Amino acid sequence: MSRSESAVVEGPSAGQHPVGPGDGTAPRADAEDGGKQPRRALLHTLSRTLSRLLSRYWTVLALVAAWAVWVRTRQLNQIVAPTPAAVFGDVLGHPGAYLPDLGWTLLNAAVGLALGLVLGVTGALLVWASPLLSGLMTPMALIMRSVPVVAMIPVIARVVGFGITAVLTVTTVVSFFPVFVMAGSGLRAAPAATRDVFTVLAATRLTRLRLLLLPHAVPAVLVGLRLTASTAVLSAMLAEYLLGTHGLGLLFARSVTFMDPARAWGTALVATVVSVLCFVGARAAERLGSARFS
Amino acid sequence: MNRARTTVLTVAGTLLLLAAMEGVGRLGVLGESWPPLTQVVAALDDPITRDLLGRALAATATAAGTGFVAGTLVALVVAVVGALLPPLQPGLDRLAAVVNAVPLIALGPLLITTVGREGTPAVIAALAAGFAVFVAATSGLGAAGAAHRDVFRALGSSRRATLLRLQLPAAVPLLIDGLALAAPAAVLGAVVGEWFGAPRGLGVLLVSSMQNFQTDLMWAAALSAAVISLTAYAALAGLRVAAARRFV
Amino acid sequence: MAATGISESPAEATPRTTPAALELRGATKEFRLRRSRTVTALASVDLAVGNGEFVALLGPSGCGKSTVLRMLAGLDTPTRGEVLVNGGAPAELVRGHRLGIAFQEHALLPWATAYDNVALPFRVAGRPVDADRVNALLSLVGLEGFTDARPRQLSGGMRQRVAIARALVLQPEVLLLDEPFGALDAVTRRRMNFELARIWADQQITTLLVTHDVDEAVLLADRVVVLTGRPGTVRHVEDITLPRPRDKALTRDAEFHDIVDRLTALLDEGAE
Repeated sequence: MSRSESAVVEGPSAGQHPVGPGDGTAPRADAEDGGKQPRRALLHTLSRTLSRLLSRYWTVLALVAAWAVWVRTRQLNQIVAPTPAAVFGDVLGHPGAYLPDLGWTLLNAAVGLALGLVLGVTGALLVWASPLLSGLMTPMALIMRSVPVVAMIPVIARVVGFGITAVLTVTTVVSFFPVFVMAGSGLRAAPAATRDVFTVLAATRLTRLRLLLLPHAVPAVLVGLRLTASTAVLSAMLAEYLLGTHGLGLLFARSVTFMDPARAWGTALVATVVSVLCFVGARAAERLGSARFS
Repeated sequence: MNRARTTVLTVAGTLLLLAAMEGVGRLGVLGESWPPLTQVVAALDDPITRDLLGRALAATATAAGTGFVAGTLVALVVAVVGALLPPLQPGLDRLAAVVNAVPLIALGPLLITTVGREGTPAVIAALAAGFAVFVAATSGLGAAGAAHRDVFRALGSSRRATLLRLQLPAAVPLLIDGLALAAPAAVLGAVVGEWFGAPRGLGVLLVSSMQNFQTDLMWAAALSAAVISLTAYAALAGLRVAAARRFV
Repeated sequence: MAATGISESPAEATPRTTPAALELRGATKEFRLRRSRTVTALASVDLAVGNGEFVALLGPSGCGKSTVLRMLAGLDTPTRGEVLVNGGAPAELVRGHRLGIAFQEHALLPWATAYDNVALPFRVAGRPVDADRVNALLSLVGLEGFTDARPRQLSGGMRQRVAIARALVLQPEVLLLDEPFGALDAVTRRRMNFELARIWADQQITTLLVTHDVDEAVLLADRVVVLTGRPGTVRHVEDITLPRPRDKALTRDAEFHDIVDRLTALLDEGAE
């Protein structure tokens, strides 16, 4: 999981190149013919944006196109697989059917994320404070890192009870570990020379934590949040599906049961979009944070 | 000295964790649904239970293993294509991200109509593992330092030669990292895939034992899933330590 | 003239009259490697720095000169021998927040402004921030206009100035500088040398500068202690009697070049 960072790194790598071919030519062309300048510039920007979007999202568009072609050529029953048009139509035509459940899923994910954040940072601080605790908790962190938490939904539901408690437990546990691990490494990431400066200044442990280590851990914690933001949404939905509590998961389960494939696929579409948006949002927060703290 | 201390603490931590699981069950803190560990293990004495669990374990491990291998191969091919044809790269990155963001449950009905109930666990395992490997491979292929790449460019190396002699070797440590993360992902994918009506597997056993209040069996299934996940992870993490010596 | 500046024996590393502010007595430092092998970084080093004296510790990389500085800062302890600061353990000075230190890595807090970085020692010591003192130091190092700039917005030389201002802000009794300009380009480095000479003339704090740059050592120090080799030992001590204030004109001075050439030759021999 900790690697998903680089897959979707886009904007800055393209934007940071000081001299891209497009960046170099645009102003020169504008300077040559004054009158048509604004329109040409606008067209230029438009076509550039369009080609950039196309170069990034052609695969996604191709996926949707393949879906449409597949449904048509196989002459599939609408119950088996609805066309993209039917699915997009249902989502855009009946937003009211999705919104309440979307709200529930987002709430479940957000509360779990917040609890996971608090518990993860607290756990990392405890481990930082006590080498004994750190040694004792290492195997647990390692085990939990590779245990499929989401697969444990049935067990969790049995133990804490079905319903929203179980959903929140799942999203909390899913969010806890990345935050715990990242906060822990963030607390240890302060450069040696800076730590030496604090030692020479005879900083107390608390001062060191407050002025040096905690600010250093902020970017790392934000990385942890970015890693879990979309996972929290998806596992909330999975738990809702399995346990039948309010949310997109239940909407999906019902749509499948009542043979409403456009709604079922629409739910999947909404969940995908929301999960991508959560990722994008968390990544933006991470960029802001790392710009501020490093 | 320090390492011995760490080992002692790690062993102590593991024992403490097991003891806590046992204790919670013994004391009944969390009620009937958290049995003591020893009781779960004792349930395996029954040959019928053992047989049931064994078959489920085999089914899940097969699905996860198949998915892991298939997902890894596809991810590697796509990552190498992206490295050889840079214009395709951004689109492939987006595709991987979107596929990863599709809720697993949404794939269930689709996969059941296309690959059938039996094939679904392996396909979901492949998707989950493939994403982890793809991300690791992409960043691994980009991991070779700028100075190294300049050396190759100055030597007039072809794109293919650079890939073979520089990028692929440089990608190995990150790639194995990715494989270590992909293995638990494959197990999870297989278990979730089994929730869509697969005939057997740990996922099936988990849900059915939950519904039938077979607490010991449910815990045995959950612990089995955890154990294969951990074993796969540990094996690949060990491989990573070995590879780190060779390639870094 | 040049000949009189050389003292032949390392024993004379101890200054004649004033009591030593910094002192190493037979300090030996061994590092433990894996499989119970040890490597000796410093072998029985004697060194004393008088009150208000500027001593440069000159040596090739890997000769253990940074270890000397780290022991004086209480960041390392000697395996054998004694390390004294003002006659006591380094920890005492540290506890009183009376030690200033700057490293090759500027070690500034990336999220804090230049002002906040210089004010940091006040906050760590739990004292109220003396804004006048912080501003005075920022202008002493020539950064009046950059109080609100964050480290990433500053050039390498400016970051080192902030680091030096931070080292000086609590009016330390001892200043330890570990290759503070080691990461800078040659031109900036020389400019920073003259800056430091000016600042030091203003403050006259007991200073130990660790460097591998011969020009830098001769330009700044009252005495240059040449350390060589694996394990590090004091090879030579040179009193620099060049007049102060030292400025650019000095770098064209024949005597300056004499000393630099001689010390460079010593380092060269030590390397073989």
